[in-house]
Amino acid sequence: MATVEEPRAAEALFIRPDGKEKVTGLGRYTADLNLTGQAHAKLRYADHAHARITRVDVSKARALPGVLAVLTHEDVPDVKYGGMVQDRRLFAKDKVLWEGDVIAGVAALTAELAEQAVSLIDVEYERLEPVVDFAAAEGAPLVHEDWESDSGDDTMGRDGNRIGYSTIVKGDADAAMAEADVVVKGRYTTDCSQGVPIEPRAVIAEWHGDRVTVWSSTQVPYAARAGVATVLEIPESSVRIVVPLLGGGFGAKCDFHFEGHVAALARAARRPVKLVFSRREEFVAVDHRREGMVIELETGAKADGTIVAHRGRLVLDKGAYCGEGGFFAQMAAMHACGPYRMENIFVEASLNYSNTQPSSSIRAPTAPQTCWALEQQIDELAHALGLDPVELRRRTLIEEGAEGPTRQVFEKLGMKETLERAVEMIGYGRELPEDEAIGVACGWWPCFGAPSGAYVQLHSDGTGTIITGAQENGTGAVMAFPILVAEQLGMSPGDFSLLYQDTDAAPWDMGSCGSQTTFNSGRAAIAAAVEVREQLLDAAAAKLEVDREDVELVDGEARVKGAPETSVTIVDLVGEGGPFHGKGSGDVPEAPECDAEGCVGRLGMESFLAPQLITQAAHVKVDRETGVVRVLKVAAAHDSGVIVNPMGANGQVTGGVVMGIGQALTEGTQIDAEGRQRNPYLLDYKLTTAADAPEIEIAWVETPTANAGPKGSKGIGEPPCVATSGAIANAIRNVIGTPVRQLPMTPERVWTATREGNQ
Amino acid sequence: MRYQATLTVNGIPYPVEVEATASLLRVVRDVIGLTGSKEGCDDSECGACMMLLDGRPVNSCSYLALQADGREITTVEGLAPGDGLAPLQQALLEAGGVQCGYCTPGMLISATALLSSNPRPSEDEVRVALAGNLCRCTGYTNIVSAVLRASEGHPAGTPG
Amino acid sequence: MSTFVQATTVAEAVGAMSGGARPVAGGTDLVVGARQGKAPLPESIVAIDRLDPLRGIELSGGRLRLGALVTHAEIVAHPGVLEGFTALADASAIVGSHATRVHGTIGGNVMNASPAMETGGPLLCFDASATLESVAGSRQLAVAELLAGPGETTARADELLTAIEVPALPGAGSCYARLEYRRQMEIAVVGATAVIVLDGGLVTDARIAITALAPTIRRVAEAEEALRGTDGGRAAAEAAAEAAAAASAPISDVRASADYRRAMAAVIARRAIEAAVARARGENVPVPASPALHGAV
Repeated sequence: MATVEEPRAAEALFIRPDGKEKVTGLGRYTADLNLTGQAHAKLRYADHAHARITRVDVSKARALPGVLAVLTHEDVPDVKYGGMVQDRRLFAKDKVLWEGDVIAGVAALTAELAEQAVSLIDVEYERLEPVVDFAAAEGAPLVHEDWESDSGDDTMGRDGNRIGYSTIVKGDADAAMAEADVVVKGRYTTDCSQGVPIEPRAVIAEWHGDRVTVWSSTQVPYAARAGVATVLEIPESSVRIVVPLLGGGFGAKCDFHFEGHVAALARAARRPVKLVFSRREEFVAVDHRREGMVIELETGAKADGTIVAHRGRLVLDKGAYCGEGGFFAQMAAMHACGPYRMENIFVEASLNYSNTQPSSSIRAPTAPQTCWALEQQIDELAHALGLDPVELRRRTLIEEGAEGPTRQVFEKLGMKETLERAVEMIGYGRELPEDEAIGVACGWWPCFGAPSGAYVQLHSDGTGTIITGAQENGTGAVMAFPILVAEQLGMSPGDFSLLYQDTDAAPWDMGSCGSQTTFNSGRAAIAAAVEVREQLLDAAAAKLEVDREDVELVDGEARVKGAPETSVTIVDLVGEGGPFHGKGSGDVPEAPECDAEGCVGRLGMESFLAPQLITQAAHVKVDRETGVVRVLKVAAAHDSGVIVNPMGANGQVTGGVVMGIGQALTEGTQIDAEGRQRNPYLLDYKLTTAADAPEIEIAWVETPTANAGPKGSKGIGEPPCVATSGAIANAIRNVIGTPVRQLPMTPERVWTATREGNQ
Repeated sequence: MRYQATLTVNGIPYPVEVEATASLLRVVRDVIGLTGSKEGCDDSECGACMMLLDGRPVNSCSYLALQADGREITTVEGLAPGDGLAPLQQALLEAGGVQCGYCTPGMLISATALLSSNPRPSEDEVRVALAGNLCRCTGYTNIVSAVLRASEGHPAGTPG
Repeated sequence: MSTFVQATTVAEAVGAMSGGARPVAGGTDLVVGARQGKAPLPESIVAIDRLDPLRGIELSGGRLRLGALVTHAEIVAHPGVLEGFTALADASAIVGSHATRVHGTIGGNVMNASPAMETGGPLLCFDASATLESVAGSRQLAVAELLAGPGETTARADELLTAIEVPALPGAGSCYARLEYRRQMEIAVVGATAVIVLDGGLVTDARIAITALAPTIRRVAEAEEALRGTDGGRAAAEAAAEAAAAASAPISDVRASADYRRAMAAVIARRAIEAAVARARGENVPVPASPALHGAV
């Protein structure tokens, strides 16, 4: 429960309801909780990235005094789970498929004892050649030897190490390419990267008879609930997930992770069990990272810039397991087309298994890397055409009435307006020192329609509580619900408390993923409020003896329209009793129509619902001698529809841009030939610090959008990191005269490109 | 071996018995029970565990608890006067410098140390002073502006 | 089970060390190192952070004395260091973060013996020596002889570093520069130190050291030779920097390839030399030098 503070100033000052407990240090995150009698868990991970397990001996671990439970695959149901393909077990059975595969779990009286017990587990292996080069995974040894028996979505196009294959096909790209005046080709590669929430994950489980309560740092409590139920073969109604304050996610805490391991350990130990990850585990053991990619693009245009043909071949690294990332091939293929008018398209994307960490949703999965490649491609095309890159974009970006990659016809949208606002804010075209330049990149990201549900109830003193299944990951999206609800009821946001992040309290929700919280969960909260509004209007009409159509809710009162002195306060109405509680879901927006008949691997991404549109412009300084790049300023212009909470929205952009800068320049997970991460720690996986973060100027192009969320809003959270690396790449290219085709664009890579470009 | 020590945290002396190798962070969180200071990396790279030790910021994950015996320790829980909020805390809320909140305790400690030694920092001085505190949510913009707002002589005045 | 002693006198500290205890001051390297699995925390710890004789910066009689407990922040704030040992201030100013600099000590930095440590190059170039004490007595050792390899020193396990002494080099301009990917929270990927004395516009004394380019930080005689007698201008700086790069023996690791490091050795060394020459001429190059040399805003 949290309550909203009253605004302190006349202007719309938004103080988040959970703010006070956060700045005073009194708020509890999962790792801050301790239950009486709790034991501590540690996991035993694989010693190889790819190996057959020939023997597991836990007897020494079990014999260690203070050890309460040691579990392997033999001790839990033999269940395979996973998002679109069920290819994973809680504990590895026959083979380990990446260095973070879990072989066993231990619960002991202390974390130190658990650690010691884990080290006493003897595992023998037959080492197998790890598949590290995901682009060459087809034809390599099978990561999943029994992939054909794994249940999964049949439309993915699974075939051996290829878990997904999608195409975007429009017209005849081959024929049109031959007719183009100018054709440019580019090959781009990206390292995988990480979400790096500052809170490493933590899970605590406690059983009450046959029911288990799990406190978890998850972004998706309902998916966690389903996961626990699946792997332990118990009903979902026997599982309650509670999320204390969540210390960031960025996608890394999406999907079902370790709640099953800890629940199983707690059942075996007959005690509450707590698991807290180290930073190293947060890098190595989490089955969520941003996928590495190889992107080959070929684009043909007429002399006036009309893009007549676009071909792409993308390979994405899925890592060892599917998880929720089964849709990545199609998503990447859509981003390889981008928000451009292209007459003919053939883009194919393969999603390949490898013996490395699984890739899954990290903030706008597949988009930043693909956008980075496409936006460099667009700049190269402009250079080849002798056009200014911004001018080429003016001529080719989508607008109202334009056709998308699958002939989705766009309604009103502000793509081109974001371009104009961004170049204006950055001062495009002005004179700069020779080691500085500006680059521009555009991108897009869809909204995801999903069911959600909420309850709103009023209390006898005229305050209320919003009960929502939505998950607050820090963005403030849930924190803004009181604004949405209060508006419906003529009340103040400060009148409402929130009950959230408890699967027993509220209806199912997708969780804080897909930038969907305001879009879907907000809609549900409003729908619930509307029910209460109807109840208040009924009660007021009876009380005031007027037609309910003549009553309005304003400033905590029900008043007769045009005669505000005839009124009754909401406190009085509620105080007299009667049902003042509502529930709601609202109507889920449907995906726009399109023509995707010629496309394979259609998983629902073939048209973009209420697309969020992005232009970012970066002003950088490049030290040509060292390749070190400093970002001096980023201008970000976004169309996310109508903005509900400006402070929260701006915070998403500044945060996303700085995450984007890290992904552009310093954040890359390096993997050795054995499939192991080489830099799973923050000194050598470098996030952008306050000293390196630039000035960020923001403009919102608030286009009222059809089929959108509350008040015409669209999603906000993911797009801010989509175009940043592309803008920086184009700016670097404008200094050094040649593209940098590897991401992240580390100093060494920029230096290498500079030298090779000069030869 | 376990040793007796007295850790004075936020003005209150706590007699504790701790292992020689226990970090200050572990003892303050697990023994004393003040969980405002967070563990984010355990190797001095993220700053979420920062406390003031005799007024100077320290990554408490990498400092032995026994070395703090007899010294003045301030954690985020000790920043607010009484029931209210310190100007920095208030400024952070009003500027939107809090999102997930996990870096917030360390940020507040670093900023408190900065303003006590440099009451009128420039923006760049703020950015350098906060560089040891990683934040993944905010992009730092609103945190930096909150610290500037809470600094002496800022046009916005000292809030609170 | 580890034991802990809080030393109140140097005698007590070295007594504990003779029994096998390891000293801890700021704690940063020792505790972090243990967590990262580099070396387990020692069985026996002696805290030396309250030994007042190990504190303080003194500058007298042409010598700078840094107690082993002097922090990086104290070094950067000392006018005498900024004036006469500028490279050392450059180095201490860019160690880790603000919190690292107010607690991290020069003694801990030196005894950690990282080939990438910032202060090592300046200490080598200024011919610094270390005072090591044990129950057997005290001895002086050049820092150059103290640093033996990555994480290794020639000090015996029972010897406590109590002070660093640095002879002044009147008229010298000096600079430490590093290649850094971020402005803060960095470790040298490549570093270089230059100490230059000019007389009548010519270089009469030149000392060059390279950092993170070999198993230990090392002076490069060829680079120094290339500068002596020159005007310290661009051509001389480049020649010396090339010599420094040629003397490097870099590794490829997660931070950079050997090729890139070698190429950067020439760039960073040249920048350090040019800044040192500028300072020797009385020109103002802000401390720390690295951000300015790196195109920071």
